[in-house]
Amino acid sequence: MNVLIVEDEKSLALEMDEFLSKEGFIVEHAWKKSSAEEKIFVNNYDFILLDLGLPDGDGFEILKQLKAMKDRDDAVIILTARSAVDDRIKGLDEGADDYLPKPFSLNELLARMHAITRRKHKLEKNEVNVHDFMLNIQNRTVSFGDERLNLTKKEFEIFNYLVLNKNRVVSRMSLTEHVWGDILEVNSDSNFVDVHVKNLRKKLSGISPIDWFETVRSIGYRINC
Amino acid sequence: MKLQVKFSLYNAVTKIAIILILGAIILFSLDRLAYNQLDNRLIKKKNKIIKNLNNNEIDSLLNKEQSFTDYNILKEEFIVLTDIPDNQKDSTSKVFTEKREIEGDIEVYRILNYKFSYHTNWYNLEIGETMTALQSIKNSIRFYMLIVLVAALLITLVADFTFSNFLLKPFYRIIDKKINLVDDPTHYNYQNIPTSTSDFKILDNSINSLMRKINTLFALEKQFIANVSHELLTPISILSTRFENMLNTPDIPVGHENKIYASLKTLNRLKVIINSLLLISKVENNQYLKTEEISLQQEIDDIYEDLEDRIADKNISYSANLSKDFHFTGNKALIHTLLINIINNAIKYNVDSGVIAITDKTEDEQYILTISDTGSGMSPALVENAFDRFKRGNSEENGFGLGLAIVQSIARFHKIDVDIKSEEHKGTNISLSFSK
Repeated sequence: MNVLIVEDEKSLALEMDEFLSKEGFIVEHAWKKSSAEEKIFVNNYDFILLDLGLPDGDGFEILKQLKAMKDRDDAVIILTARSAVDDRIKGLDEGADDYLPKPFSLNELLARMHAITRRKHKLEKNEVNVHDFMLNIQNRTVSFGDERLNLTKKEFEIFNYLVLNKNRVVSRMSLTEHVWGDILEVNSDSNFVDVHVKNLRKKLSGISPIDWFETVRSIGYRINC
Repeated sequence: MKLQVKFSLYNAVTKIAIILILGAIILFSLDRLAYNQLDNRLIKKKNKIIKNLNNNEIDSLLNKEQSFTDYNILKEEFIVLTDIPDNQKDSTSKVFTEKREIEGDIEVYRILNYKFSYHTNWYNLEIGETMTALQSIKNSIRFYMLIVLVAALLITLVADFTFSNFLLKPFYRIIDKKINLVDDPTHYNYQNIPTSTSDFKILDNSINSLMRKINTLFALEKQFIANVSHELLTPISILSTRFENMLNTPDIPVGHENKIYASLKTLNRLKVIINSLLLISKVENNQYLKTEEISLQQEIDDIYEDLEDRIADKNISYSANLSKDFHFTGNKALIHTLLINIINNAIKYNVDSGVIAITDKTEDEQYILTISDTGSGMSPALVENAFDRFKRGNSEENGFGLGLAIVQSIARFHKIDVDIKSEEHKGTNISLSFSK
């Protein structure tokens, strides 16, 4: 899948590039509104990661132009540090698929991209297989063979997030923010997420060995597959 | 007291004073005028009598007696001629007022007393005229003056009140529309209130120019907030993505990995603080709409769902029994933030197996929601500074005291009163008063 990163902050764009390339995305860059418009005119992208504050214009204008084109299905995620209150509503109204305020976690970005892919193309099944555990994203259930696991909402959310970011370290911080949302708390790294992970692992390991479910030292967790 | 009432009262008082003084002068001069006329009449009569007098007449008048008295039927006038001893020095005439009894009727008379000599004989002449008529005229003049006074007063009061009401109407409209009803300076109506009074025009224009200044400052602040947010959050964003990528690099030494993660946490702390400050600034900069219908019950239920596991982790007994489902108009996301901050604090600072109770009551046209916990509580000094930014409630916890500052700014934005009652080691009660 190809991604266009429209971002004037080069170092940020390069970090995103590094991360997404490892995930197998083909990444292109546009540093300015004009070059972004040119690229969008020529190519179709699966994802356009759009910064709003560009040196030669507003990212919203790019979004408007894209939406005016026919037969385009590029998913747009707005990434902005502008934090104007109505930007989010405006962005979604103008047809953006998601809105992620800066600073964001790359894990969160990836999870959102997966969610959009599932929603848009419906090609991917709603089920994900992780070492024979089947996650049904639609019904938010996990089963192993015929056996249905009794997970709490939060446990499912944690499992799902780790699976979306498989083979990567997901920090407790990123996990907490994803599952509990951004409640503006400084100590979001507190250990209560560990309690939920512990319960989740107990439930999973009760059925099948989970040596693929790693604790990465003091940082967080990783699911390998 | 309203200016309008003061004006009317002042006018009324000055008019009463003027009328009273004028009245007194009129009554006094009327008195003098009447006496003068009466006296003149008496003197004329006396002169007429004296002129027509001759010996025979006096003799016939006195009829060999010492004194002669005559009066008309209604006793309005009388005349008395008396023979007096002949040792008088010279003829005098004096006028005075006296009560006289005539055939059993006592009345007040104006009396002219005249001593004169006629053919070596001295006589005393008294001509009297009743004052009753004059008195009654005076009384009726007084009475009518009182009526005129009262009527003039009432008319004046009503006229003044109506006129000043008409005159001051633009003033009150300016105050109301340009000051009292202005909630959000960005939606201020600059249109002038029509008035022909130049003072009010000046006032109106002054308020307008003041509002323009406020609006400019507001816009500048908005721009500043946007810039700060962009300038601060972008570098954080770069760093945090960079650290994340570093963490995912295989085979980095454990020590470095820990340091990278610690850096990420520090960045996150920075992010939370900046976002909290931005939130407060944006609320105070009126950047949020207050147009959503909010059900408190619904919000509390949602928050419970979010925090359920934290409550369970601490084994807290939680109860939220609201007697009524209170609805109001506001910003849902902000109210959610406000409540989640309070309830989250109630969990965070609570003891294990503690209690959180959310109750409500209606009092004096206000709906009051109270969230009470059995946590560590706050000292009176802390309660006083609770809303100060960067005051830390509990030094062991990693909080930065912005939670309550956020609560306060959101509450102010929604005109909700926040009241904290706390006792150390016993718990805290936070009451939110919504006016209906």
